[in-house]
Amino acid sequence: MATKIRRLTLSAGWLVVALVAGLPLFGVIVGLWPSVPISEADVARFFAYNGLTYSITNTLFISLAAPLLALYVAFMVYSQYRFNPRWQTLEKRLAPLLSLPHLAVALGLVYLFSSGGMVFNALWGLFGQTAPDWLGLPRKSLLTMVLAISIKEVPFFLLILSALGRQLAIKDWLLQGKALGYTEGASWWLLVFPIMLKQSRLALLAAMAYSLSVLDISLLVGPNIPQLYAVVLYNWQTGFNAYEQANAFLGNLMLLIMLGLLIVSIYGHEWFTINRLRINAVMANPFKIARLSRLFTAWLGFFSLLTVAILITFLLWSFGWNTQSTISTANWSFSLWQDEWFFMQGPLLHSLNIAFFSSLLGVAVTLLALELQQQTNRKLPDYVWLMAILLPQLSMVYGWQVTHTGLSGSYSTGWIILSHLPFTFAYSYLVLRGPFQSLNQHYELVAASFGYTYWQRWWRVRFMLLRPALLSALAIAFSVSVAQYIPTLMIGAGRVTTITTEAVAIASGNEQSITAVYILVQAALPFIAFLIASILAQRIRGSFDAEHQ
Amino acid sequence: MLSISNCHIHTDNGRIELPDITLKSGELLVLTGPSGMGKSTFLHWILGDKITHADISGDIALNDIPLNGLNIEQRRIGLLMQDVHLFPHLNVIDNICFALPYSLTGSNGKKLHKSQRRKVAINMLDNIDMGYVAQHYPDQLSGGERSRVGLIRALANQPKALLMDEPFAALDPKTGALVSQWAYNQLQERGVPSIMVSHDIKNIPPQAQHLDLATYYHSTK
Amino acid sequence: MMWLTSKSLRFLSNVKYSNPLAALVVLMAVAILALLPNVNAQPLPDTPTVQLESSPQWQQTLADAKGETVYFYAWGGSKPINDYLRWAAREIASRYNVRLRHVKVADISEAVSRLKAEDGSKSAIDLLWVNGENFSYLKEQRLLLGKLWSSIPNSALLATQKLPLKNDFGVPIEGFEVPWGVGQFNIIADEGLLGESEQNTVTSSIILAAAKQNPGRISYPRPPEFHGTTFLKQLLVDLSNKDKRLYSAATSQAQDDLLPLLWDYLDQLHPLSWQKGNAFPSSNTEQLSLFQQKQFVLAVSFNPNEMAKEKNEKRIPTTSQRLYFAQGAITNSHNLAIPKAAQNSAGAKVVINFLLSELAQKQKLNGSWGDPSVITPLLDEASTLPAQQELHSSWQQVIEDKWQQKYGA
Repeated sequence: MATKIRRLTLSAGWLVVALVAGLPLFGVIVGLWPSVPISEADVARFFAYNGLTYSITNTLFISLAAPLLALYVAFMVYSQYRFNPRWQTLEKRLAPLLSLPHLAVALGLVYLFSSGGMVFNALWGLFGQTAPDWLGLPRKSLLTMVLAISIKEVPFFLLILSALGRQLAIKDWLLQGKALGYTEGASWWLLVFPIMLKQSRLALLAAMAYSLSVLDISLLVGPNIPQLYAVVLYNWQTGFNAYEQANAFLGNLMLLIMLGLLIVSIYGHEWFTINRLRINAVMANPFKIARLSRLFTAWLGFFSLLTVAILITFLLWSFGWNTQSTISTANWSFSLWQDEWFFMQGPLLHSLNIAFFSSLLGVAVTLLALELQQQTNRKLPDYVWLMAILLPQLSMVYGWQVTHTGLSGSYSTGWIILSHLPFTFAYSYLVLRGPFQSLNQHYELVAASFGYTYWQRWWRVRFMLLRPALLSALAIAFSVSVAQYIPTLMIGAGRVTTITTEAVAIASGNEQSITAVYILVQAALPFIAFLIASILAQRIRGSFDAEHQ
Repeated sequence: MLSISNCHIHTDNGRIELPDITLKSGELLVLTGPSGMGKSTFLHWILGDKITHADISGDIALNDIPLNGLNIEQRRIGLLMQDVHLFPHLNVIDNICFALPYSLTGSNGKKLHKSQRRKVAINMLDNIDMGYVAQHYPDQLSGGERSRVGLIRALANQPKALLMDEPFAALDPKTGALVSQWAYNQLQERGVPSIMVSHDIKNIPPQAQHLDLATYYHSTK
Repeated sequence: MMWLTSKSLRFLSNVKYSNPLAALVVLMAVAILALLPNVNAQPLPDTPTVQLESSPQWQQTLADAKGETVYFYAWGGSKPINDYLRWAAREIASRYNVRLRHVKVADISEAVSRLKAEDGSKSAIDLLWVNGENFSYLKEQRLLLGKLWSSIPNSALLATQKLPLKNDFGVPIEGFEVPWGVGQFNIIADEGLLGESEQNTVTSSIILAAAKQNPGRISYPRPPEFHGTTFLKQLLVDLSNKDKRLYSAATSQAQDDLLPLLWDYLDQLHPLSWQKGNAFPSSNTEQLSLFQQKQFVLAVSFNPNEMAKEKNEKRIPTTSQRLYFAQGAITNSHNLAIPKAAQNSAGAKVVINFLLSELAQKQKLNGSWGDPSVITPLLDEASTLPAQQELHSSWQQVIEDKWQQKYGA
């Protein structure tokens, strides 16, 4: 009887997990199904699209360069802060740094640092001159795009590395490395980086998939001669004549191929880098280049400054300040906040409600997925679990929308939570997989020796040790849910407005002041989530503390 | 030669005034004493690591060169802990290669290249009849194998002294005794002065000096 | 903190409205509204509007609409427009007991995509703000409700004589959508940039001269963004001296004759324009934002009152000028349509009817949005720019495709 129940729970569990992990695939198949027959001429015309090759290579370049740059910077920052009193400060500040939306960072970056941007104008203005045009970031270029994305991804990778670091005996490895005559910097690179790089594979993949398909940042700071691939594809997808629809179908296939290329290059980069580092380790190379990391001691200061500068810019905008005004001539007013606050309360509550339940469910299903794999000893490849992040979102959600209307589903919060679930699941899987699978099993063994049953051990040892990682996962899943625009609008049909559906619509108009109001409020939600998570995490002794008393 | 003089250890509960210690090449000092007295902390102090739980003062000299101002990587003192900390991403040979000095030269005075360094490592393994684990990764080794590879790795680094923190405590008594005897022989053969922290008072090798910290302990509580 | 409390109360009452408990509130509102027509009853001239309004058909629509919630899919990127719709929602609720809910979208194609997904089954959309390609697709797919002009009384007010309201980017409207406002293509520029012309008109050569004087400070939204495409159309009309072939299907002969004029011109303009023509603003709103930040010396707009509004908000210098192309401003309507499968089509018709009323059109024109009126009683010829006909719809695709071929990469 007991085995029967166990088997039943197991298969029910697999079903739930398969649904959440499989929904994205299902959505894409339904959503991508060509509405028009595709002929050879369509294929020829697709490839003849002027600038397609550049558009693809530029996009691939950005998708590779920005996340990798961010990972390397994050690693160097981590290595400079981890075993240092500064770490406490960094952990405390990670919350606000993580919660600024990508769009806010990009907007702030070009406004402040582009050629003719505020910072240079203000500096030169002190001497009564105008800043030279060549100075500063170009408004639209590969470089600006790479910077905008990678700056924003560094805190994300720091969070991932910090979760990973809790499971690794980094301190002992470093000590061992130093005892063997290596500098601390060299030990970080030669001993810690290869392991962290392997374990950050999923995070890298997620960041790359994001860069590949991000639309708003591409429109704002991406080069547009030729346009980035996401923009080209969006134009096809939202043009509804037969030829554009054919291009959209082929374009989505191309997107999948590009994704495949990115996956291959993640492995390629990993193989190459680890091999290079291994050769350095074998040669006992002092690895002097590791000194570069020291530069990043200043990262927290710089990044905090940048965040504050962006926040102040947005606050000033929201109070009516603009380029035309000086401090005295601006018509300062709180009226925007007063006007909009009334209309924001509903969306804010909806956002909170949806994000709360979808993140909780997402983390729960993640635990279920990890536990089932552990029990049956069958590890499915990561890509299966990350479909929601990897597959093209517009087609995927379109597929859900077709099914949802086919089922005459209501436009209620429940359905929206369901539509967020694959995303919160994928991101919490990304955060939790490493900590869950590398958790030292000896603790549970000890508990077993005290006579605890499997589930008692699971709850009282494994779950408790995982709490810090669970909190990170919850916070990330929460902010992922808050940021969802397409599923919320397409499944909720506008019946349930969230702060993000409002903010994205508003931002499409490029009206500085009102965009600033909405972005600030939108950023407040993940900020609260990350803040709560970090406060709680500091009070909880997790697996790291258990390993390194 | 490793010498430690005027050494005082202050912990939260008490203070230890150590007698001067001098270890000639190949000599071994076994350090015993109850838990919490600061044995491991003392080792970390010699190594040059940051000390958090105690306050230690004193002079350390290696071959008459004072070490106090030097950081870990400049001191060239090896460390072998109970968990050997073989690096999980490198196999056994590469773990050893990692420890071989950068400046290792061949008979012609030229720096060795990759395959030559690997050959040196394999020779070291073969010398102790462990060539068969060369391609294994740390998680594929048994406890005894891991301890032995750990010691070989520490020695490959050509340390001027070696510190061991209960290196064989995790092994079963029979293996423990075998491996430790083997280890002393290796150390003596290579003339490395060593300090070992141990709980196992019964199994102190006859050739070793012995220092029981409890003898020098003054409680301040 | 008064505003907070009073508004919170209103917010609470809004929430209750959708609550079954509030049946009483709804009943009371219905009772009050039932009295309203009597209060407002006045003898009115016997215009087509009045005839339609008193027709049993319209009375039935009004009755059906009561208590309905109309989901209006409309671009939500502009605060003045959002505010206007909030105002309209309050008016409509108190007059007709219809709730208007603005579903803000970043791009109206999101609504089109939903209609496509629903494939004619019960629609979540009751009303949408649409024009151009999206309208043409929806009409062709038979997803729109027809005969709007004949079933909505205030359509009789539409200024079809004075404004080009029967076609939408060259596609006949035929009652599948109702014009709501008009856009007229104009340029907002720094003072004196484009010469001292009294008429406030501009030509392609004046723009080129200005670009020479202000290298790197002129650009236009990247086609296929339709402000950008329209800018190119205006240039083409000017460069070809308003060639008649632009107003009929784009034959390959006409393309070969006329397009090189445009490309020669752009070949001169681009090296002098922003980032040497290696990048363009993504939209007119981005261009305007860069104009506000003094990066550009001009911006394009489809709203003839945009400049006045921007000046009011002190976002651009008070000395800025509004200019239009000498051959006339390309004029287009933006429109309201009801999906065939809409659940609250009666309510949607009531909303359209209200939005075409004098009150609503006046508020739209004079309020912060400043969008020109489309109804005869409010047609203000003084503020209306000299209009020029839209090019034949085939030119749109031709210009966009060829531009992409020549400059897109």
